[in-house]
Amino acid sequence: MAADAGGKRSIRSWLEARLNLTEIASFLSVFGLLPAELDTRKPLREALDEALSRPLPSYARWPRIMGILSFILFLVLAVSGMMLAFYYQPTASEAYGSVTSIARDVTGGTLVNQVHRWAATLLLLILAARIVRFYFGGMYGRSREVIWMLAMVTFVVATFADLTGRLLPWDARGYWTTVRAREVTDALPLIGPLFSFLVGGSGLDSLVLTRFYILHIVVWPFLLLALFYLHFSSVRRVGLSSVADGPGSRSLRVVLYDLLLIVVFLIGALATLAIFMPQSFDVAADPFATPPGARPPWYLLAPHALLESFPPLVPRFLRGLFLEALFVAVLLLPFLDRRAGERPGRRPAAIALGALALLVWAALIWKGWHLEGPR
Amino acid sequence: MKHASVLLAVLFAAATAAARANEAGMCGVCHSDVRVQFEQGVHRSEGIACTTCHGGDVAATTVEGAHRAGFRGVPRRRDIPALCASCHGDIARMRPYNLPSDQFALYQTSQHGRRLAKGDPNVAVCTDCHGVHEIRRRDDPRSRVFPRNIPSTCARCHGDAALMKKYGRTDNPYADYAAGVHGRAFLENASDAAPECTRCHGSHGATPPGLGDVEKVCGQCHATTRQYFLEGPHKKAMDDAGLPECAACHHNHKTPPAGVEMLDSVCLQCHAADSEQQKLAGTMKGMFTDAAREIDEARHLVEEAARIPLYVDDYQARLEDARTALMESFPVMHALDTGRVEPHTRRARSIAAEVSGEIHEKLAGRWWRKVGLGLFWFYLLLTAAILVRARHRAAAESRH
Repeated sequence: MAADAGGKRSIRSWLEARLNLTEIASFLSVFGLLPAELDTRKPLREALDEALSRPLPSYARWPRIMGILSFILFLVLAVSGMMLAFYYQPTASEAYGSVTSIARDVTGGTLVNQVHRWAATLLLLILAARIVRFYFGGMYGRSREVIWMLAMVTFVVATFADLTGRLLPWDARGYWTTVRAREVTDALPLIGPLFSFLVGGSGLDSLVLTRFYILHIVVWPFLLLALFYLHFSSVRRVGLSSVADGPGSRSLRVVLYDLLLIVVFLIGALATLAIFMPQSFDVAADPFATPPGARPPWYLLAPHALLESFPPLVPRFLRGLFLEALFVAVLLLPFLDRRAGERPGRRPAAIALGALALLVWAALIWKGWHLEGPR
Repeated sequence: MKHASVLLAVLFAAATAAARANEAGMCGVCHSDVRVQFEQGVHRSEGIACTTCHGGDVAATTVEGAHRAGFRGVPRRRDIPALCASCHGDIARMRPYNLPSDQFALYQTSQHGRRLAKGDPNVAVCTDCHGVHEIRRRDDPRSRVFPRNIPSTCARCHGDAALMKKYGRTDNPYADYAAGVHGRAFLENASDAAPECTRCHGSHGATPPGLGDVEKVCGQCHATTRQYFLEGPHKKAMDDAGLPECAACHHNHKTPPAGVEMLDSVCLQCHAADSEQQKLAGTMKGMFTDAAREIDEARHLVEEAARIPLYVDDYQARLEDARTALMESFPVMHALDTGRVEPHTRRARSIAAEVSGEIHEKLAGRWWRKVGLGLFWFYLLLTAAILVRARHRAAAESRH
């Protein structure tokens, strides 16, 4: 044990002499969990004390909570997903048995499985809600263009992560949801063929399942991690949104307590959802028996309805191209709407347009749901 | 050497061509269309010549020569069964093919045969069902008597309303059969378990079963049902009243799918609505529907448990047992004795109740999850309280 300055010996000081603990801790700050820059030349305690007492606007309080909440959910998904992967077998013949066995035979398996499912649902809902908040708050102008585009891309990548996850249990609902979802993605020029290339064709067999699995546990999570990193990095560069900024800036110490409180309540919410509203299992998938009411997942219902709304004469790739153009237009919104960043009251046209778009989207979801028969 | 092999090949080809020409003989030179048909049939490959049935000289090179003494020309319809039987009634000739040789004897006992003997030229003779020149083996799917083709073969006459009217028949047995449960299973679902015409009527000895024999015919497949029917009061009562047993309630050709709902209407054909017999029918129906409902409730529970998921393989197997017991009550109902039906429906109900009870118990046994969640929330709120307190302290410190 090495001696401290005051002659006290501690494990921390022993390690401090051999590792740059401050540098290791600063790694966390890169991902926004610890929204402070640590001076890596100073010892950990000193650097932390300095950072913790530095005042900063709280990002872990309403309504700016969604960014950090989505990242915490991502971490929950990573941990629970890893636990599931210990037992999961990604082949068509074993997948269903292994997933039901996780939920039935493994101690705590149901809880982990349900928490994983609910965390995914909440993550997508929060990412979607974040986009809506960014739009109505006008938070995509004035050097925040990258944050807007990252929010859009993060949502799309998260839907792909969700979609690849739905197939993994190889139950009838997951299987046929994926089949219907792929009808939508296959209509998209460039994205459809690219996705088909990645998973090796447009059918669903054991090899495709393995590829979905790799996409689900490696490719999409790392892409999401990179997107979260870029998001936090951009927030650090341009600062938190100034719209509706409260008066109080707090010390980082207080912010960290807020963060812990969020985690506590999030875990409580996930456990409650998992126990009171468990998402049910379906029978094993049978590629030769389509169950009634097979439809794409909720986030693809509107694109599905839109694709089906065109007159029959319009070729499918043109419909897909329209969808893609729509996405690109929304993605490039910060460059199209120059009045962004102003208070909602001063941009009534944008607010009205946004409300209309939301209504149309909701109507399309309703239509997409009713295009298929009852379940 | 090369020349020798070519010569051999040519000689071989000539020899086979000559052998082939021999079977249809010279007849095919004029009757080329018949020859084409004949060459597709089974008789050609067995070395039967045209002259076997038609007489004449197969080797003659002139029309007069071919149609010489012994030439029979086209056999008369009434002579055809006997003509076919000249070979097919010969035990020694049929033995190598393992074919029966009693078809002619059977035919003579059939409605077709008896009417033919009385001089009716419209009834079916051998060639109407088996074909004339292109007679194929029974197991050849192109044969008219291949089992799958039998209903359409019989319908050639029995579906002909004008022809049937001559015999006073106004129904259409083929249409009825096709609409009934047997016809739909055989024609639409291609089930070989379902009967075609000959399974009930016979083929060569085709005759409608007599009034007292219907249960024997149906009992070939529905053996258990027949046993209970024989033990019940209906057998004697129906025979005394001249009713066609099974067909009296189930129809002969247009047999609808059997179900308990039949008990509401079929009995009323003979029994009054307020009669003891109709009450018995109502009791039997009630026993069945109660058990069916309980099985259905148990099935819903099993499905609910499977979605959690719990182990349900055993419950599914036991529900299958319950359904079997319930199905067993169907034949027993033909004995018309509630005391005999009740053990079966009771067994079905008790299995269903057992399964339901066990699943309820399992589902109720999950209460500890909610208790655990309550404890977990208690712990979470405690943690939150500590965090809020620490946060206040930190906020106060940062203000100083």
